[in-house]
Formats: sequence, structure tokens, C-alpha cells
Amino acid sequence: MTLERLSLRDFRCFARLEAEFHPQVTCIVGRNAIGKTSLLEAIAVLLRLQSPRTGSLQYVIRAGAKGLVVDGFVDRRHLQFYYSAKRRKLALDSVEQKVTTSYLEIARVVYLANSDIDLVRGPAELRRRFLDFLGAQLLANYREILRSYDKALRSRNAYLKMYPSRPREVQAYTKVLLKFGHQLTALRAFLVERLEPEVLRAFAAISDRGEVVCLHYLHGATLDFERALQESAAEEERLRTTVVGPHRDDVQFLLHDQPADLFASEGQQRTLAIALKLAQAKLLATDFSRPPILLLDDVFGELDQTRRNRLLQQLPPASQQIVTTTSLDWLAELPAGRVCRLEEGPAPADRLIVDYPTGSRPVFRPKGPA
Amino acid sequence: MSRDLRLCRTEEDTIIMVMLSKKVDYPGPIRELVQQLRRLPGIGPRSAERIALWMVQTPDARATDIAAAISQTAARIRPCRQCGFFAEHDLCDVCADPARDRSALCVVERATDVIFLERTGTFSGLYHALGGKLSPLDRIGPEDLKLDGLLERVRRDRPEEVILALGADVEGEATASYVADLLSREGCRVSRLAQGMPAGAGIENADDLTIARAFRGRTAFRP
Ligand SMILES: Nc1ncnc2c1ncn2[C@@H]1O[C@H](COP(=O)(O)OP(=O)(O)OP(=O)(O)O)[C@@H](O)[C@H]1O
Ligand SMILES: [Mg+2]
Ligand SMILES: [Zn+2]
Repeated sequence: MTLERLSLRDFRCFARLEAEFHPQVTCIVGRNAIGKTSLLEAIAVLLRLQSPRTGSLQYVIRAGAKGLVVDGFVDRRHLQFYYSAKRRKLALDSVEQKVTTSYLEIARVVYLANSDIDLVRGPAELRRRFLDFLGAQLLANYREILRSYDKALRSRNAYLKMYPSRPREVQAYTKVLLKFGHQLTALRAFLVERLEPEVLRAFAAISDRGEVVCLHYLHGATLDFERALQESAAEEERLRTTVVGPHRDDVQFLLHDQPADLFASEGQQRTLAIALKLAQAKLLATDFSRPPILLLDDVFGELDQTRRNRLLQQLPPASQQIVTTTSLDWLAELPAGRVCRLEEGPAPADRLIVDYPTGSRPVFRPKGPA
Repeated sequence: MSRDLRLCRTEEDTIIMVMLSKKVDYPGPIRELVQQLRRLPGIGPRSAERIALWMVQTPDARATDIAAAISQTAARIRPCRQCGFFAEHDLCDVCADPARDRSALCVVERATDVIFLERTGTFSGLYHALGGKLSPLDRIGPEDLKLDGLLERVRRDRPEEVILALGADVEGEATASYVADLLSREGCRVSRLAQGMPAGAGIENADDLTIARAFRGRTAFRP
């Protein structure tokens, strides 16, 4: 699948932006804080209606603006999404969509970033978001079940917080919570099971030594959700919120049987994080006829040349790649495509994408953070 | 760009455009009519303008007939005293019909759901519209639903079966669970629509055949 064009309005730091992309590789060069990560995030939001960076889109709207617009073409299909605190609207080929199903069939993405190392050593919330971002793209019912679980959870918590207490209402929502909780747990277990061999393979391909990586799905409610819920009743009453369930799920990474967050070196952690994203790309490329669009946010700069090349080799062949960077040192290693610069436009929050004149390899002068 | 962004032409945008332009607009009465029409669901500024112009320009538009139909409908329609469906009199056409099967009572969320079920032609009993569903996030609790009326009917008429035809979305299921719990205390047989209703959606999203199947294949509600 190929992203051809993108228009933004009031997305993060962009008041407006227009961009076109090369069918293979587009490399976008820009100084710190110019909006490179935001641009890739906008692509993810356009294609998946959610950000791999934040759980809620409200922070993505440009400060001071009411709502954001992302608008673009993928394989000649026209995708449009408007989001504000009050309303969300989406359209496919200029026809408004009441449900997201057809819209989300159009494209799939994998977002790789330097910050992915936090998947290994950061909070569990990031690993859940990773699973959810993949699950919604890979499994037909995932998104709907996740949303239903989330709504049941918030409703149940709302009743738990009421005074005097509302045991019958809580009980009514407990049933719904259990139902969607069981479904969500089954889907996540299936995802982790499918990820593990691919992570192992990708890890071996990037690191020198064959190391044993295991993924453990840690249930946020032990195996028996219903019993865990009953047993947590006292704590629930004290905290007035649901304390067990898939919203507390986590995934543990083991390297040679040791928790990777505590025992792996920084290099190993980084490799593991990349392996997770490569595994995601592999699963999406296997399950669907065309490989996902790859968004690579400043990842090459942090790697040495050998690992850079190995990473490039592991990307699904024939996938479109959109790459951002502050430094051009390694540009010669990148396969052919378009190289352009992201810079300030005439108005304060406008940004432009400018091509380097053909034939002239850009000379890069690093600048410090703005 | 402007074409591509049609989607975000919001009300605010239109208002700003109107404020900035000091050009002549339609006379007051037409503007007033456009304003009124825009309050209707599904009518945006463009459609409102088109309808208003049609009314003043078309010789046989018979605008008074439209106006009369609108004001009469609002005055003559009220909720049925017993079930909450639309009625012209005290009781709706379903409740007033002596041929309906009084041993079966079907609980729905909204009055409009009765129409969806009637169209499938699978049910010949009576209805009860709750007028909403249990959704604490929208601040709607049991006290906002017509549950007292339901309990009263169940105690008085002792139907053999109460069928919960509530949506398969989160609030629909929670409401079904709540009502089933309530009715089972009354010693009442409660069943629910079979699986196969669109997951996460109200019954207005299912086609007639799906509703009919779900109805016939209904199952006892396990409390
Ligand atoms: N909602 C928002 N409204 C306005 N500006 C925002 C919003 N969210 C983030 N920004 C700003 O957008 C700018 C661009 O951030 P972004 O992370 O995209 O830059 P970057 O080019 O990826 O930088 P780096 O090279 O450091 O990774 C930052 O200055 C940030 O403060
Ligand atoms: Mg960045
Ligand atoms: Zn009636």
C-alpha cells in the first residue's frame, strides 16, 4: 500500500502542511522540534484513527485550535478524518462513514521510533498500547472488543464511585465487563503467542549472537477473571475502582530467562524494541496481501552501520518507508527515493516540505535543539 | 486543499464567513426560515437554504400544509400511557388491539425500536419501552428508565414471558442484565434475543431477517 498525499490542519505543531510521498522511500530531514515525529504520527492517525504515541487524541490537536484534520490518499482512496473534543467525522472517498470498518481496511502501519526502548523498560501502559495498536490492525474484532471493555470498565467505575453504593448497577456492569474482558484476554494471548517466534527471529537477525527471547503475557486478573474480581471486592470498595482486569495486563520480555528491563544491556533493549516492531511488520505483511506502510522516526542515527543495514534488510520488501532524521551522515545507505526537508513556512505555524535540488547532495549542518 | 477539507467546514467556519462578509443577504424572513430549518436533524446550512428558497419560489409549494402537518403532529402525538410507544390516544395501536397476545411482553430501549420489531412480523405480544439504557457515563441511571411502570405491568398482568430486546452494545447488555435481575425477583420468566445481533450496536442496526432470527432463537436469561 502506498500513501500518496497528505494534508494537515491544526495537527500538533502544524497549522497547515501539505506533503507528497515517494512509493518506496521518502526521507524527511529537519532540525529538532520542527515536527518530524508529529508528521509520522499524523500519518498513523490518518490511516488508523489512533496515535501510537498517546491514548487520547485530544493532546494531538494544535494548542489553541478546536479540531484537527488529517486528509490523504492511499492507493487512490481518499481518507479524511476530523477530530475535536465534541465531534469526530470520517470519510472514505468523500462519503461519510458511520462505522470505521471500511475506512480501516485501507491501510496498515508500523511506527518505529527511538523511544521504542521504553517498550522494554517503561510502564506497562506502553506495552498495552503496542498490543492494542497491533491488535486493531491484525484481528477483525479487536478494536470493537477493546472499546467495549473500556466502556464497561469506565461505567462500572462510575458506579463504584457513587455514594450511597449501587451494588445492583455495579453487578449489571460486572457481567458485561467479564464478557468483554474474557474476549480481550483471549485476543491478547493470541497476539503474544503469534509475536513471540517473530520477535525471536528478528532479534537474532539484528544482533550478532543467537539469544533466547521469551514473551510472557501477564494477566491483569490472574487466569480466572471472575474469581479475581470477587476476591478484590474489599480493595475495590476501599479504592472505589476496578482493580483487576485486562486494563492491568502486561507483557514481560525475558532474555535468557531474565527480565529484559532489569538485566539486558541498553543495546540489547534497543534491539529487542526494534525486534518487536519488525515482528509487528512481519505479522501484518503475512496476514494481508500488501505489506504495511513503515514509519521510521529517527531510528537510524542511533544505530551503528552494521545494525542499520541489518534493520534495512529486515523490513518487509516492497513496503513503503517514510523515514525522518536530523542527520544525513548515513543517507547513502538508504535505497533510492526522495529526500526532502521539513522547514518553517511563511506563517508562524505553517510548515513546508522542500525538495533538495536534484544532483546536489545536501550538505548537512547540525543545529542544536530550538 | 479547500476542496479536500470540505469535511471540516464546521458551523463555526460558516459563522465566521458570514460575519466577515458585509454583502447583502436574503431578507429577514428567509434568513429566519433557514435558521429554523437548520435545527432539523440531518439538515445543514446548504440544504436549509435550498429548502427555504424552494418554499418561496415554487408556486405550488403549499407551505401552509407543511406547517400545519408539523404543528398538528407535535400536538396530537404523545407516548402511550402503558408502553411508551407513539400514540394518538391514551393507548397506542398495539396496546389497544384486543388481538395482541397478552402473555408475552417485549422490553425495548426506545419507542422507535417497536417499529423495527413490528416490521419483522415475528412478534404478536405487547411492548414496553424503557426510554433509555443504564449509562452512568451519560448520567442515566435506573431512576431515569420506565422501570416502575414495567414492574407494575408484570405484577398486574403476569405475562408468561418477558423478552429483553435490548441492543448488543455495552449499555444494552448491562441494562438487560439489570432488568433480568429485577424481574427474576418477581418470579418472572425472562429471555433475551439470541446471539447474532450486531455486536456493540443497538437493534436499529440489524436487518429484519437478523432480528427475526434472533427473536425466534431467543434464550432464557441466566441471572
Ligand atoms: N498539541 C500541540 N500543539 C502545538 N504544538 C505542539 C503540540 N504537541 C506538540 N507540539 C510541539 O510540536 C513541536 C514538534 O514536535 P516533534 O516531536 O514533532 O518534533 P521533532 O521534529 O520530531 O523533534 P526531534 O528531532 O527532537 O524528535 C514541538 O515543539 C512540540 O512542543
Ligand atoms: Mg522526533
Ligand atoms: Zn402502548
